[in-house]
Amino acid sequence: MIKKIYISFVFALAASVAFAQVDRTTAPEPGPAKEINIGEPTTFTLKNGLKVFVVENHKLPRVAFSLTFDRDPILEEDKAGYVNMAGQMLMKGTENRTKAELDADIDFIGANISTYSTGMYATSLTKHQDKLMELMKDVLFNPAFPEDELEKLKKQTLSGLAASKDDPNAIASNVRGKLVYGDEHPYSEFETEATVENITLEQIKEYYNTYFRPNIGYLAIVGDITPKEAKKLIKKNFSDWESAEIPSAEYKMPTPPEETFVALVDREASVQSIVNVTYPVSLPIGGDDVITARVLNQILGGGFSSRLMQNLREDKAFTYGARSSLSSDELVGSFTASASVRNEVTDSAVYEFMAELKKINEEGVTQSELDAAKASIAGGFARSLESPQTVASFAINTARYDLPEDYYANYLKSLEAVTLEDVKAAAKKYILPNRANILIVGKGADIADKLDQFGEVKYFDRKGNEYDPNDKSALPADLTAEKVLDKYFEALGGIEKIKSVKSIRTVYNASVQGQKLTIIEVKNNTNFKQEVAMGPMVMSKTLVKGDDVKVFSQGNEVPLPEAAKAGLKFGSKIFPELHYDEMGVKLELKNVEDINGKPAYGVSVTMPSGQTTTSYFDVESGFKVKSASAQGSEEIKSYKEVDGIMIPELRVISQGFQMNADLESAEVNIEVKEDTFN
Amino acid sequence: MMKRLIIGSLCLLMSFGSIAQKKEIEFTEFDLDNGMHVILHQDNSTPIVVVSVMYHVGSKNENPERTGFAHFFEHLLFEGSKNIERGQFDKYITNAGGVNNANTSSDRTYYYELLPSNQLKLGLWLESERLMHAQIQEIGVETQREVVKEEKRQRYDNQPYGTILPEIMKRAYTVHPYRWTPIGSLDHLNAASLDEFVEFYETFYVPENATLSIAGDIEIEEAKKLVKDYFGPIPRGGKEIPRPDIVEPKQTEEVRDTIYDNIQLPAVIQAYHMPAQGTEDAYALEMLSTALSGGQSARMYKSLVDEQQKALQVAAIPFSTEDPGLYLLFGLPTIGGDLKELEAAMDAEIKKVQEELISDREFEKIRNQKENDFILSNSQMAGIAESLANYHVYYGDANLINEEIDRFMKVTKEDMKRVANKYLTKENRVVLYYLPKSQQNQ
Repeated sequence: MIKKIYISFVFALAASVAFAQVDRTTAPEPGPAKEINIGEPTTFTLKNGLKVFVVENHKLPRVAFSLTFDRDPILEEDKAGYVNMAGQMLMKGTENRTKAELDADIDFIGANISTYSTGMYATSLTKHQDKLMELMKDVLFNPAFPEDELEKLKKQTLSGLAASKDDPNAIASNVRGKLVYGDEHPYSEFETEATVENITLEQIKEYYNTYFRPNIGYLAIVGDITPKEAKKLIKKNFSDWESAEIPSAEYKMPTPPEETFVALVDREASVQSIVNVTYPVSLPIGGDDVITARVLNQILGGGFSSRLMQNLREDKAFTYGARSSLSSDELVGSFTASASVRNEVTDSAVYEFMAELKKINEEGVTQSELDAAKASIAGGFARSLESPQTVASFAINTARYDLPEDYYANYLKSLEAVTLEDVKAAAKKYILPNRANILIVGKGADIADKLDQFGEVKYFDRKGNEYDPNDKSALPADLTAEKVLDKYFEALGGIEKIKSVKSIRTVYNASVQGQKLTIIEVKNNTNFKQEVAMGPMVMSKTLVKGDDVKVFSQGNEVPLPEAAKAGLKFGSKIFPELHYDEMGVKLELKNVEDINGKPAYGVSVTMPSGQTTTSYFDVESGFKVKSASAQGSEEIKSYKEVDGIMIPELRVISQGFQMNADLESAEVNIEVKEDTFN
Repeated sequence: MMKRLIIGSLCLLMSFGSIAQKKEIEFTEFDLDNGMHVILHQDNSTPIVVVSVMYHVGSKNENPERTGFAHFFEHLLFEGSKNIERGQFDKYITNAGGVNNANTSSDRTYYYELLPSNQLKLGLWLESERLMHAQIQEIGVETQREVVKEEKRQRYDNQPYGTILPEIMKRAYTVHPYRWTPIGSLDHLNAASLDEFVEFYETFYVPENATLSIAGDIEIEEAKKLVKDYFGPIPRGGKEIPRPDIVEPKQTEEVRDTIYDNIQLPAVIQAYHMPAQGTEDAYALEMLSTALSGGQSARMYKSLVDEQQKALQVAAIPFSTEDPGLYLLFGLPTIGGDLKELEAAMDAEIKKVQEELISDREFEKIRNQKENDFILSNSQMAGIAESLANYHVYYGDANLINEEIDRFMKVTKEDMKRVANKYLTKENRVVLYYLPKSQQNQ
């Protein structure tokens, strides 16, 4: 209080002094750069090998423990996802506390505890430190791994996968991994429904028992605690933790392709293409080139004023954002330049990407670009130091990656020392326009023919496996599209049987994003009625009576273009494939493709209007399992027998959104009154 | 230097005690002759500095025929000044290795830069240029109108549930200017003339309506001098600053409505009128929201999400404002779940806190959570600068940055029960059902 009065008194005197004139016309020069003092943590190692780093910081009465295990990356193979789940399962209850009790105890002291596959984090106010330590130990040493919680977690993971299945970004990320790192590499694995189903509790327990060990542990203690106190606390609580031998693993070093090529993932529903120019790089953490590479990437695609952003967004308006990354990693790093662009500018955008890569590779950068990039990186470095966690992570990195003791202390000096020549040399070494994978997830029909100017165009499926869209070699020599259809008819119940179906009424219960719908359809090969209802309310109705086609939305007729009417007319056919001749449809047997893990024949079906749909028929069973067109796709997961006819039972329809439709009832050869279709 | 040594050894002493001591945040404050209030917080541990200015103008100060002005200025005042060319404002900051942003509420507008500390002068220059002679010109107004239109599309119209606040506000308030939100009306912005923008700038963007808050690696005396150099020559505005004294009449019956929006999952929102921030009852309601939805073990979360599985997410959010505000309860039902059932379950949880005192253990949990949140909120310079400015602008007492926690700790279990009964009543609320557009005309 006294101090405050005193200060305002001094000020009252000072206020009458005239202020100095400042030159407002130009920006003031910065003062001399401040020396950045990165605190020295106190470190010690327990007998069991646990390395501890204490960063004392009494600004807030708060303490944080973060534990990291340093292990080699793990190949999960057909159980991809289990390592992640092991980390999540630690918070699902202990031998002493159910999940609810654990939540309550953590909340009670206003604390925060989280776990992951390679460690845990726990923080609270200093005064609750003892209780926090008790909870942390319970989570770390006594996990219960309850079976029902694993089932819940699997269910959540599966719904997440279902939601992201058609997401072009998820597809790009999976295929990018395969392209850059190759098969049998931990960085190219991703979860699928099948691998998640394969995960067992035993595996999770084994993972925990193997890797949650002190001899590969780095524990950072940051905050309102003295090194002496911390040492006492850790010795008391972690000395009994037993070390164990940790398996190690080695992987083949991925290499960039010999020649740049285009990897196209054909996604018919795309209106935007995702472009990734990408390849592996060798850039170990703390290596000689890391800081220069950071400057290089900052200029190429690191921020709003980067070359890629200025060119593709500000100048050409191809995209909302274009950026690049050049990551350093102990095992293998990668370069990626990426953007999402409109279909029609896909080739132009790839052209600009490649031109920017060539330009920086050949010419390097300018002095003003170099200065701005340095300032931006230095500012970010200084800001990051505000968090005492950063100081701890610097110390841990220094130990983990065997960096020079003063690596971080000298970071800004090293940054300042980067020259134009250094950046130019790094651009030669790390920017490889001639040895890149140009991954594009987009609509092949619209974009493919203009892409061969950048290199050979190869097709990849969503799992990252290459296929030839025109490869007929996997097709039996004498197979034709007609024969595939014949087998399909056989699977449905036999051609005679399905031809005898003159009318059908089906009811599907569908759900779209939480909304429940009922879809009722009646067809008799000439006429067609479809009603989509939500509860008692009919949302939309389609009526086809011979050539007369009408669509109503909430009671009002919707005007339709002729092409749409022609398409809807085919809706009256109970089995449209039986009528392909009279409809004037052109068929082409294309290839064998993997549909949900099983091979299927792809048959392209072209209407007289030019509209094309690709239908897929399971090689083994003959059933149609998928159809895809520009409007979207439909998968048929199962069929159900009704009076000797197989009817689609579970359908998954994607048209920008996903709809699951489940067969409630189907009646064949019912009596259809003429006025049904009015 | 001496002071720092003393503080250092104090810390050392304190850390031997087993009970954590509250660490005071020290600061210096004074007024310039032109009426600008200045707050300085020195912390030399990291070479960064936050330079911020809070203007006591928000959407509630607007002319009802010209809503959206305060927020529009948040954009317009990045256009440039007499000495800063158009489009260069941000570039000065990024090229210096800094970051910056601004935001607008119903009550105030806030601008800040986070810079390397050797760039303190740059921050002062930019902010003083903004206040002294910003360029209010047709070209900037035109450009920012387009940007604000995009912002409205992105954040309100295309954002699922983005219209909740505007829809709630216009039903909860009949006369008070909280009935519109900061984004305001694009029609008003289109209709406004350049003179009106200049008038708004000359009325509200004046030193006597501004609080300069600086936190970080500074030396107090040097910073004082620089502040005076850059801001001292700016003359007082001298116009009367419009501050609405409109009192919203008490709501007497429940308002209930349904909104159809571009959303996938429906939602229920209840909004109860609550007293102004800083009042005893507002603190009690804040504590109540921690009881209802603070963490996985909180009442509404545990009961509705974990046990009954009626909701995917629930939240109790006191929307504290300078004038009496709203207490929002938000519920997102599980897929296929019924909104009425969910609302009934939310009401049941409210009824419990109205009828029964919470247990001692739960009360202690809430106090612990609140204390933890309060301390964490001041862990970074950016947060400290903004809190100091807020406490000064709203309460005229920047030291609440250290003492506001005492006000929370004064709240009793009985207070929490009392405010639940006083404010969380049917006739005091607006209830909105948000439904997907596909369900319209049902």
